[in-house]
Amino acid sequence: MTTSYERDTRAARPRDNESAGKRRRRLPRWSVMGLSLVVIGVVVFLTVVGTAIAPHDPAAQDLSRIADGPSAQHWLGTDVLGRDTLSRVVAGARSAFVGPLVIAAGSFLLGNLLGLWAGYRGGRVDGLVMRWVDVMWSIPALLVLIVLAGSLGAGYWTTVAILVVLTAPFDTRVVRGATLEQVPRPYVESAKVLGVPDRRIVLRHIWPNVLPVSIANAFLVFASSVGVLAAMSFLGLGVPPGTPDWGLMLAENQALLFTQPLAALAPGVMIVVIATAMNLAGDGIYERLSARGGTA
Amino acid sequence: MTQHSDSHSEGTGMRTTAQDTRQPLLSVSGLRVERQGPGGSRTVVSGVGLEVAAGETVGVVGESGSGKSITMRAVLGLLPRGLAATGEVRYGDRDLLGLSERAWRRTVRGTEISMIMQDPFTMLNPIATCGDIIGASLRRHGGVTGRRALREESVRRLREVGIDDATVVDRYPFQMSGGMRQRVGIAAALAGDPRILIADEPTTALDVTTQREILSLIKRIQADRGMALILITHDLRVAFAMCDRLHVLYAGSVVESARAADIDAEPLHPYTNALLLAEPPVDRRVGELVSIPGSVPAPDEVAGGCVFVSRCPWATDVCQDGTPPLLEVTPGRWSACARLTAARTEMTRLRERAGQDLPFSDDTPEKEPVLSGVGISKVFTGAGGGPVHALDDVSVTVAQHESVGIVGESGSGKSTLARVLVGLEKPTTGTIAIDGIPVTDWGRLSRSDLRRIRRTVQIVFQDPYSSLNPLRSVGWTLAEAITTHRPDAKNVGAEVERLLDEVGLASAYAQKRPAALSGGMRQRVAIARALATRPKILICDESVSALDVSVQAQILNLLVRLRDEHDLGYLFITHDLAVVRQVTERLYVMHRGRVVESGATAQVIDNPRAPYTIQLLASAPRAESAWLEGTGRRDD
Repeated sequence: MTTSYERDTRAARPRDNESAGKRRRRLPRWSVMGLSLVVIGVVVFLTVVGTAIAPHDPAAQDLSRIADGPSAQHWLGTDVLGRDTLSRVVAGARSAFVGPLVIAAGSFLLGNLLGLWAGYRGGRVDGLVMRWVDVMWSIPALLVLIVLAGSLGAGYWTTVAILVVLTAPFDTRVVRGATLEQVPRPYVESAKVLGVPDRRIVLRHIWPNVLPVSIANAFLVFASSVGVLAAMSFLGLGVPPGTPDWGLMLAENQALLFTQPLAALAPGVMIVVIATAMNLAGDGIYERLSARGGTA
Repeated sequence: MTQHSDSHSEGTGMRTTAQDTRQPLLSVSGLRVERQGPGGSRTVVSGVGLEVAAGETVGVVGESGSGKSITMRAVLGLLPRGLAATGEVRYGDRDLLGLSERAWRRTVRGTEISMIMQDPFTMLNPIATCGDIIGASLRRHGGVTGRRALREESVRRLREVGIDDATVVDRYPFQMSGGMRQRVGIAAALAGDPRILIADEPTTALDVTTQREILSLIKRIQADRGMALILITHDLRVAFAMCDRLHVLYAGSVVESARAADIDAEPLHPYTNALLLAEPPVDRRVGELVSIPGSVPAPDEVAGGCVFVSRCPWATDVCQDGTPPLLEVTPGRWSACARLTAARTEMTRLRERAGQDLPFSDDTPEKEPVLSGVGISKVFTGAGGGPVHALDDVSVTVAQHESVGIVGESGSGKSTLARVLVGLEKPTTGTIAIDGIPVTDWGRLSRSDLRRIRRTVQIVFQDPYSSLNPLRSVGWTLAEAITTHRPDAKNVGAEVERLLDEVGLASAYAQKRPAALSGGMRQRVAIARALATRPKILICDESVSALDVSVQAQILNLLVRLRDEHDLGYLFITHDLAVVRQVTERLYVMHRGRVVESGATAQVIDNPRAPYTIQLLASAPRAESAWLEGTGRRDD
């Protein structure tokens, strides 16, 4: 019996060992998050000024230098059409970042709106919203995406728009869950008894307490959208051919994997790096935010 | 008489004197617990000592933050990570503090010293049956093997803790009540046949009737087994009823140690005295509870002086000048008060004054009720789909400046009633009228009526930790409460300051977030928020039950004062008969969703008629061992 007591003791007094444990782990955790933020910062920077600082025109073909290895002129070599890989990676940051940003922001807005509404109102509203969520979840997203993008005409922004609609239920569910946790708390009930208008209770009381969860979730959505958008481009259902886009570059240069691997690996690595950085930053930001208010 | 030589050097070290010559089983001396951190170490417990002999019950009494639980965790080697203990914990010929985790498990915990915890809802593994839980310790410590033997032994062990139903071994913790879980917890703790049982607030989470049953069960088992018992509690009455010796802890130090009966007769430390007086009595109404100003300091804040100095009315420069040692005042009585001779007579006088009964005057004229609920019923759909009658034909009224109590145990429907009265739940049947406005369907009220009702009745909840938005400053919360009803209010800042002042908080608290406040302070803020609308009726739903006794006394006094200043009516919902005795004139007793008795508070408590009220009164803790006798179960 004592063994199970031990576990209970530790669990029962989290506050006692929390501070010590946190202090011990804080340093590496911070540097992981710091590194992630630096990576994200670099990508944002490239998104804004990328084409201006690229060493070459990302579209310029040099047919005399097809699939060249790294050189002083082309640090990452050239691709299947003799275009500078580095310049294309730099220019590709834009489509790799803006699309996921729009998806994360769009589904964040939709999901928070619906999730807060459903969680706070409960009853029929909640039932309706959650059935919609269930229906959306039961649809195989990638398949729908491919079918829709194929029938509506392939295009980057079409894909982005469809992804917003497909991802919003995910946000909705998370936000609704977090809202349900806050609604029965005495501070919310006190506000109700005071006669504070519902809209204000939701926006000024509940939402700030739900935000850590929904922001962390937005980062997760961003990370997975990077992958999905790259996959769509890879399949030829995203950006138009010729656009510098990491997913498309992978598709174009996969034949070079053994002769000029950098042409395919560089964009591939970038996809992994930005997605990982977003995930880790989301984790870190969640921890920072949920530490606000101490006992929240 | 035994003494520890090292306690002299410790200063606050503790020498225990056993009245008889029994050899102590366990002796703790000079125990210090420190929290190690990058910013240096912080003291949690400084120089505590105690002894316990076979068959003896030793009480460790203190409020939250006194270090009582940590002390006993150190004795079992169960300190949370980051805490380290020094000193000596002698058990037989071994010093336990030097043991490895492996040795603790193999040779001490469960078989020699065992422990039961406060919360029966988290103490047991939720995915194991009672048989599994008890069987695990039996196999480990008792050497019992084989499925059938284990099962039979488990059934036998359950019988020892008063559970005769053999099918309980197959039940999971969630299928049992809190009292039942605590019994199973005790059976599991005793499976290794320990010689010492440490009970850490074993009944704090339980209802009073269950509390009495569990305590008398522990007492009986202790006598049967000749086991030593260390009881950790915040409740002096419980300690007096259960213990032979008491150690009173405050801010990590022992301030007084003596036989329980001696402390009951005359406490010899201002803190113990204050603690006794802060505890509201059930048999009379004291005019004003003696509250201890401020709150428990961290041990390091009071290092180098008496730990109680900041809150002691008798403190002088002597008290700041070095930690007063724990000295033997009379044989077997130890006190760490440097000013005892000066304070002693005054402490006696305070106790005598608190012994008088000061009932509310009965001459209050009948007034129109401001809040009335007639024939209220509330039916929920239970987990199994069947109806659960939370409230069954309950009628209550509260007039202006009238203080009405509702007393009941958990599940009596008292909180549901509060929620129905403020519109957080819709009653299934029944009518409510507030300030002359009939309120049956809150959704159909006109905006101005709703506004008036909201202004008339306000509520203060139980849990001070979640009743304030953790992200909002105190000032923000109060300003919102003010502007909700007076959007054109000018000088909201001054109004916030005035509200804070009313509940006894400095205006600087407006900038603070709830996390920076103690439980008592948060509850003051919650009261200030309720006052912001200038209500006529304040519903207090267990508003003081999560607080320490000394803080509870502060809040109760505050509520009594506010009532007169604002002509407030109270609906005071609580499980504690002693509390209603202090603050209410009229009382409803609730049991299983019904009002079983009502009338003038003093009359109901002094001459209870309903069998349930009689049972409830018998269960209310009394500072005598007779309280634990005759619980009506097989425990006696």
